[in-house]
Amino acid sequence: MKENKRIVHMLIAVCILFLSLVVYLTYFELFWKNSIASNSYNRRQWDREERVIRGSISDRNGTVLAKSEKQKEGQQRIYPFGNLYSHIIGYNSRSYGRTLIEASYNNELLGLGELSYVFGGGLGKEGGYGNDLYLTIDHRLQAKAKELLKGKRGAVVAMEPKTGEILAMFSNPSFDPNSKSLSENWQDLVESEESPFLPRATQGLYTAGSTFKVVISASAIENGLEEQKFEDKGTITIDGKEFKNSGGRSNGTINLEKALAVSSNVVFSQLGVTLGERKLKDIAERFGVGKGVELGIPFSKGSFSYKDMSKADMAAVGIGQGKILVTPLYMAMITSCIANDGEMMKPYLVKREESHEGREIKEWKPEVLYNVISKDTSDKLKEMMRKAVASGTGKNASIKGISVAGKTGTAENELTQKEKNKEHNWFIAFAPVKEPQIAVAVILEYNGSTGGEAAAPIARELIRTWVNK
Amino acid sequence: MTRLISWRQPLGILILADAVIFSMLYLHKQPYDYALIPIGLIIVSLICASYLIIIRKGLGDQYLFLVVGMLASIGFAMIFRLDRAYGIKQAVWLTAGVILFFLSYWIYIKIQMWDRLLFYYMSCSVLLFSATLILGKNIKGATNWIVIGNHTFQPSEIIKILFIFSLACFFKGSQQFIHNNCRIELNWHRTVKRAAIALMAYTFIGFLILQRDWGSAMLFFMIYFVMLYIFDGGWRFLALNAGAAFIGAVGGFMMLYHIRVRVDTWLNPWPHIADKGYQITQSLFAIAAGGFFGTGLGMGKPEFIPEVSTDFIFSAICEEMGILGGVAVVLLYFILAYRGFKIALTVKDIFKKAVALGITSMFGFQTFIIIGGVIKLIPLTGITLPFISYGGSSLTASFIALGILQAISAGDYGETEEQAGEGE
Amino acid sequence: MPVIVSTILKYVFVVIIYLFIFGVIRLIYLDINSINRKGTGGKGHYPYIKLINIRENLGFKVDETYHIDKDIEIGRLNKNGIVINDPYISSRHARFIVRDGKYYIEDQGSTNGTLVNGMAAGRQETCLNDGDKIHMGQLDFLFVDRPHV
Repeated sequence: MKENKRIVHMLIAVCILFLSLVVYLTYFELFWKNSIASNSYNRRQWDREERVIRGSISDRNGTVLAKSEKQKEGQQRIYPFGNLYSHIIGYNSRSYGRTLIEASYNNELLGLGELSYVFGGGLGKEGGYGNDLYLTIDHRLQAKAKELLKGKRGAVVAMEPKTGEILAMFSNPSFDPNSKSLSENWQDLVESEESPFLPRATQGLYTAGSTFKVVISASAIENGLEEQKFEDKGTITIDGKEFKNSGGRSNGTINLEKALAVSSNVVFSQLGVTLGERKLKDIAERFGVGKGVELGIPFSKGSFSYKDMSKADMAAVGIGQGKILVTPLYMAMITSCIANDGEMMKPYLVKREESHEGREIKEWKPEVLYNVISKDTSDKLKEMMRKAVASGTGKNASIKGISVAGKTGTAENELTQKEKNKEHNWFIAFAPVKEPQIAVAVILEYNGSTGGEAAAPIARELIRTWVNK
Repeated sequence: MTRLISWRQPLGILILADAVIFSMLYLHKQPYDYALIPIGLIIVSLICASYLIIIRKGLGDQYLFLVVGMLASIGFAMIFRLDRAYGIKQAVWLTAGVILFFLSYWIYIKIQMWDRLLFYYMSCSVLLFSATLILGKNIKGATNWIVIGNHTFQPSEIIKILFIFSLACFFKGSQQFIHNNCRIELNWHRTVKRAAIALMAYTFIGFLILQRDWGSAMLFFMIYFVMLYIFDGGWRFLALNAGAAFIGAVGGFMMLYHIRVRVDTWLNPWPHIADKGYQITQSLFAIAAGGFFGTGLGMGKPEFIPEVSTDFIFSAICEEMGILGGVAVVLLYFILAYRGFKIALTVKDIFKKAVALGITSMFGFQTFIIIGGVIKLIPLTGITLPFISYGGSSLTASFIALGILQAISAGDYGETEEQAGEGE
Repeated sequence: MPVIVSTILKYVFVVIIYLFIFGVIRLIYLDINSINRKGTGGKGHYPYIKLINIRENLGFKVDETYHIDKDIEIGRLNKNGIVINDPYISSRHARFIVRDGKYYIEDQGSTNGTLVNGMAAGRQETCLNDGDKIHMGQLDFLFVDRPHV
């Protein structure tokens, strides 16, 4: 019967219609749900957030850095230290949304476990409290960092080399995340040319400059170029491009150690060429230049963008000037890696999640990110960096009674070509050399001085504060 | 036929499911509502008793009522949770619906000349339509309600069934009564017959458009189109109808603000979130809040959605019973539709086939139109979800249609088994 | 406390509703499957037993017809010639016997017994004639040994 055949066609059609409902629902659940649920017009979200007192955020010693207080209507987020943590914690505001830790750890702060993503919001407690977070940050060191950066644009990062815990991380300019200040200054903040919303330490990308010479040195040591003598006449031309030492100073015949201490561009540009494209790419790859790292808050991954390298490119990479862009936090990671016998630890900011009653929910443990260089190589590098502070360009970082290892950097950038005195000033350091407790990276952007003059004293003060605590 | 109530049998599982639903309903709010215990017992025993009658008396297909029992239980629980007063009314309507189910079954079996009453169906429909237009009250943008005293009544629910019967008469093409003694033959020339069918169908649809009941208009067209495909089979005529519908839809989109709003809010409701797109976005928020397993009955916020107990009940189910609950509901409707098609395949009489098919496609498409609408798969048009949505007209009309489908399935078994001599 | 119970119940409910759907689909599957299996008794082969029940109401596989051309046993176990998973049929229920062109049925000591035309067929052989009704477990069969006009 032809009717029956057509009825079967209709059955198939209805089957497809119903299947499309099921597929659409599943797709909705898997891919659209989160963006829809977090729409600010969703009354459920306000409702849930109003019911739960948002958890507080404290430093490693329990100093409260952000907390929520009940008000007549709803609750208010309070940041007692104003702009001190604006680039770590961010802000939480109904009008402007939320950023950084307030955004990434929103579910923890609201006390919604990971399970509630799968099982819906039914587990949310009525009138309850969210969970509290404890950071790896040391409030005293953070305050010191802010004090040291006063009046300067740039960033300071301090890490514990053994664990990857970030001890301090301050970027200037910053802003006050308290809601009153935020709404009063919003327009100015958004339009400001100094981009105060940019967390420079984690998302600011800078040319590495001479600090990158420690990476090149690592490769040179591995390739037995440690004892090789180089002729430094103050200037050299490679592939038609001239490379000059700072101030055009000639250093005579020197080895690698001396070259690093005096930050000889002539030697390191030659080293770049000697090592060659393959080895340069290899060492950059092993240090993770340009690779993304999960930090919990946005962390720019930097770049090492070469396809084919000319000799001039190799020479430029040798002195950290080529197409290499890094964040201050990443430079702190490289420093920590050398301090930690060649093991690069994964950096982290949040140490512990606790319920309101003080029960531990989750603890974040140190993780090894990459095994970059051997202990032997790192020991040699440590000694070379110690000399750079003891008798080289990093003299300003030396502290009585504490052995400090470091490296200066003065990076050219897009502005130095047009104007004078616009270089970025870098300094990376760790201390004490034997048992490193802290690794520091400092950058002062467009500061125009040298790393040794301007940035090294900041690193010194931070190290002194931490080691003498 | 002994072990009907075992945990492996669907009826046993249905009783268990109802027990769980009612415990959830009972626990969701303090102080506990003791009225739920008798209501729950009544509903469960109603479903069990009806099912056992169907099985024992051999009243045809056994799955239809089973599936509908499950759907009605879910619907009742959701409505009761949303609004206690509505819930109690719904329980009353459910009881009335089951009685009407058996009544329509019995009446359908008793009367043999359903295929000859075309003119009665049509005049009834026209009467109801006119009454709606004259007495009708505008509720939520559509003039499809008649208010009698304290009660409102939606004639289009009954007209759906009349429409299906009318179409079936045409396809059967038998002799039709007009008055007691006056009768006409319906074996006209093919073209005339087609024109008559189209005229009738578009008159129905025209009335619905006048009432601004877009959902029902779409549903009627889909039923009409499916019936044409199966029983007429002329590709050109089919294409002509599709073309007419397309032109109608585009014309409506161009000329009528109401339709344009619906299409706009379907394509992108977010810019209109505070006004035109409010309903659909609230519905999406609810579905997103549910996750796979839902918030649990009584623990979500479906009351944020407007019209939640009628048009948007599926969103509330998704929020509180999860996407998995929602998908289960879709699957249940699919089983219902499958059984309907199965019945349509087994009966041989064209009239019965057409009625079974019409009722089945009515359930199927109605479900698709409203679920698709609230999840933003297709533009939203307000019609009810059969057996689940709150509302006496919808529930009773659905049960009447189900009774007829049940009767058709039983008739077939009766012919082959008991009265083997009469078999077709 | 009620919140926890409700939360547990919501998972239980989802599981149950899918069990229900599975149960219904399983029955429907058995129903469809039986359309494809016309049974062992083809046209022109006699005798055979023919199922009278409406198969959709049974929760297990059973063919429309079974061909009886030699001694054959019926029961729930797989080693029987005719396997029927009715819980009311014993593992070894009954035996069909063919001797001298005549057909007999013999109960194998089943729990619920075998009825021929409403009479219990005991452990002794009962002769089968065309049109006899055989009842076992939940099932009724018709014994057919010649074509009907």
